[in-house]
Amino acid sequence: MNEAAADPRSLPMARSMCWHCQSEVKGEYLCGRCIKVQPLSTELDYFSCLNLPRKLNIDRDEIEATFYRLNRVFHPDFYAKGDDHNEKTISLGNSALVNTAYRTLRDPIQRAEYLIRLEAGSAKEIRTAPPADLFEEILELQDDLNAFRAGDPKEHSAEMTKLRQTLQAAQASLTNRLQQLDAQLFEAFEVWDALQEETSDEAEAVRVRKEHVLEEMQGILSNRTYVRNIVNDVVATIK
Amino acid sequence: MAYSEKVIDHYNNPRNMGSFQKDEDGVGTGVVGAPECGDVMKLQIKVEDDKIVDAKFKTFGCGSAIASSSLATEWLKGKTVEEAGQIKNTEIVQELNLPPVKIHCSVLAEDAIKAALNDYAKKEEVKSSASS
Repeated sequence: MNEAAADPRSLPMARSMCWHCQSEVKGEYLCGRCIKVQPLSTELDYFSCLNLPRKLNIDRDEIEATFYRLNRVFHPDFYAKGDDHNEKTISLGNSALVNTAYRTLRDPIQRAEYLIRLEAGSAKEIRTAPPADLFEEILELQDDLNAFRAGDPKEHSAEMTKLRQTLQAAQASLTNRLQQLDAQLFEAFEVWDALQEETSDEAEAVRVRKEHVLEEMQGILSNRTYVRNIVNDVVATIK
Repeated sequence: MAYSEKVIDHYNNPRNMGSFQKDEDGVGTGVVGAPECGDVMKLQIKVEDDKIVDAKFKTFGCGSAIASSSLATEWLKGKTVEEAGQIKNTEIVQELNLPPVKIHCSVLAEDAIKAALNDYAKKEEVKSSASS
């Protein structure tokens, strides 16, 4: 018989004993004896849940296949007709976890945010230096936005035309900035993944380098939020 | 979710919006941001004889963030530097009736006050060490 960890059809479970027939379970989704669905461990992180290493480049087809496979086991609809209230509750809980894991890891930004939270405890613990230049730029643009909003959009005065041009230029340059930030982020993904594979004896050095990458990613993600916010505001204002 | 009347009032009629020259004598500037939501807040104080005689703000963010900073500038005026350092975000939450999801806006305002006070203190230190 396969060990629980090696079996692709098993995951860390909440209990080591079937809640229904009390026989031993080692991580099987369904009890080997009574075939009742077993609750997933509440401490299961999203990467483990979807059978993935804690890396940032992931194969979208693979994660989708895993998601569908797990959903075919845990989907509450399969347990809806039975009269076993426990099975309904358990499948609902498992299915909710699988869904959240999939939705989070499918998106690269959410995936990075989640990994940082996971690795650094709380993302808030990583304090990155506030981007002072960016703040100045945003606040200056805020003045232009206010002036544009105060004016009549149908008016084709020289002043309004100039404001519109300024905002359009800002939109283009900020969108460009967003793409640069994404490129930086994906570069950091590569560095992180390489460090995850690092097997040298210098564990301490690797740990320090990992922390550095997490910090860098946190900084990029913060700046990304600021830039995306102001871009959205500019777009909504001049549309 | 509906904003409280006080938030809407500050949002529609922001008090003390604008800015001072950063290098002006007695001016302390604090610029802070909330990386979670992308809001940016600039708060400035003008100090004369240890008393805050004027305050201005500029905020890019949601209604609650604007209201929090607007209220903060109102409260700052007339306070001593020491009194200003005691303003707590919870007081802003109470006054504006902020819901739990908007508490971080008041935290941002408190951070901005602290940053402005720090900046002022730093400038004063430079000034006194230059004159001594």
